[in-house]
Amino acid sequence: MRYAFTTTVLSALGAIMIVGAAHAADPIRIGMIAPITGGAAESGRNQINGAQMAADEVNAAGGVLGRKIELVIEDDQTTNPGAVLAFSKLTSDANNVAFIAPVRSTQVHAIAPDVLRNGKPVLFGGTDPRLTQLNNPWFFRFRPNDAISTKAMAEFGIKDLGKKKWAIIHTTDAFGASNVKLLTEALKEQGITPTLVQGFTSNSQDFTPIVLAVKQSGADIVASFTVQDTDQGVLAKQFRQFGVDAAWIGSPTIVATTTLKLAGPALYGTYALADYNPDSSPEATTFSENYRKRFNVQADFFSAWTYDAVKVAAVAIKNAGSTEPKALREALLAIKDVPGAEGPYSFNANGDGLHGYNVVRNQDGAIVFVKRVETVR
Amino acid sequence: MDILLQLTFAGIGMGSIYALVALGLVLIYRATSVVNFAQGDFAMFAAFLMVLAHLHLGLPYWASFLVALAGMVAFGLIFNYGVYYPLRNRSYLPVLISTLGASIVIQNSVLAAYGPHPANLPGALSFQGFQVGSVFLDGQYLVIIAATAALVLLQHLFFEKTIVGKQLQATSQDKEMASLLGVPVKIMIAITFIYSAVLGGVAGVLVGPIIYVSIGMGGAIALKAFAATIIGGFGDIKGAIIGGVVLGIIETFGAAFISVPYKDAFAFIVLFAFLMVRPQGIFGEKIAEKA
Repeated sequence: MRYAFTTTVLSALGAIMIVGAAHAADPIRIGMIAPITGGAAESGRNQINGAQMAADEVNAAGGVLGRKIELVIEDDQTTNPGAVLAFSKLTSDANNVAFIAPVRSTQVHAIAPDVLRNGKPVLFGGTDPRLTQLNNPWFFRFRPNDAISTKAMAEFGIKDLGKKKWAIIHTTDAFGASNVKLLTEALKEQGITPTLVQGFTSNSQDFTPIVLAVKQSGADIVASFTVQDTDQGVLAKQFRQFGVDAAWIGSPTIVATTTLKLAGPALYGTYALADYNPDSSPEATTFSENYRKRFNVQADFFSAWTYDAVKVAAVAIKNAGSTEPKALREALLAIKDVPGAEGPYSFNANGDGLHGYNVVRNQDGAIVFVKRVETVR
Repeated sequence: MDILLQLTFAGIGMGSIYALVALGLVLIYRATSVVNFAQGDFAMFAAFLMVLAHLHLGLPYWASFLVALAGMVAFGLIFNYGVYYPLRNRSYLPVLISTLGASIVIQNSVLAAYGPHPANLPGALSFQGFQVGSVFLDGQYLVIIAATAALVLLQHLFFEKTIVGKQLQATSQDKEMASLLGVPVKIMIAITFIYSAVLGGVAGVLVGPIIYVSIGMGGAIALKAFAATIIGGFGDIKGAIIGGVVLGIIETFGAAFISVPYKDAFAFIVLFAFLMVRPQGIFGEKIAEKA
């Protein structure tokens, strides 16, 4: 008798557990590839922070379709093989409905074939324009691409600063190489040929040869495309030591939080095209304030784009009414003027969401908003 | 002319760092016949100790330096007993792999303990450097060159003029014979590891203000230091120093006059050239003599 009772209780418990599991809505899982270890580990933390903050905000407001958003994070070790491996690990779980891919173009290129095979939306931050010209319907870019930034760079340097003799310094990876090409084209449109174009490999310990070459070229403006904050810092220090006083306009790394901390006064007075600036819109301001409150550091573009990616993905899932890949893709493409920390998102057919850039200036260590340059979609 | 001087200065500065790290590599190689792949991480670890003591605990610069060095003494001892000692009776390969593993453990331990952000360690001098004509002499590079020269001199005196130094030499030349003559070989090898860790540590603390203190800072330097030891003659102390400085100058001039992106390649082209034409390096003895 007692045995029978126990069995009944146990089976009842089991039944409750099964029913319970079916009722508590499963979270909507978004896979995220981020550099937790390796050379870009510091930016990886910011990217994870941004995405997590967005997910928490969405969840606090009741989630999407009655379900919570959950991030599943895999380390890419800051390498291309690492990114491929992380992506394959994430895609092996069918519960992941969309993915946040790296901010480095070379890594996004590395996973591109797998993205096509996998057939689910991939939200990325790499700014190489070719990434959205691969005829890959699953790529969605959450930062303005380099064609937009270099156009804005050339326009600002020539028209606002009045500079004609350009020296371009760039890393030799996909990011740097494509930017040089684009900037050279943008300058050519304005009738200018750069006086010096100099590449270097990331993680250089000494920039003496480059800095001397810039000095000799007599350039009155330097455009730089760097990836590592340490490179940017060493370059800045040596520019000042060797008395290069040309105007300087750089890629977003020049205003990244860690770079500012490392380089200090050596970067005062420099300009940057930043896809993220706290004063560029009310949404950006709110994001910046909340981020500082939560993590006690200044937000940067690394945290801003992943924040937007999760937020916009949540809107798209809600609009689609499902997490089915094709419906989600259509909903992402239909996103029009959805405000984000990086700017207003309107996806074009290629999957480019942003079309403008902010010009900022390093005013004694503080990044001051100068103007926003919107280009045609 | 000014440009040549400026490039020479930068080359010697970077080269001195390669030389310091190479020195540690050579000492361990001579004592144990093993290439220590964690030598660059010694530099990184000490630089982080320095950051911790100076920037986070607020100790004065010199006291932080002593803290970093003391830390490296302990570190070298642990490395000796944790990485080398258990495998001492095996061939060189397991030990080599063990140092490779240690390198990964050290990097990730620092990452876990300190976090991924690089730190900005101030230089040893309170000023940036001197302007001599149109040549700028970076203060920290000067400190590095002076420190390398001083350490080389000290090391020479230590090895040639003290009993411990002579015992260390005996150990590195022939462990069995040294042991028969009453040299405490185990202790000598432990001292070698400690000394190498301290040397690597000094290199890290010196180079930190120039390239910033980051987890990956040791890797690139150690690779060049390794090339420097081969160019100089593996196992040879003055070879390591001259190899390091030569390498620093070659890559700086190569970058300035041939190609900046191939800067790292020049170091290894020179390395290949030596391996083909003079594999024993500038000062190395012929391998045949060792057999």
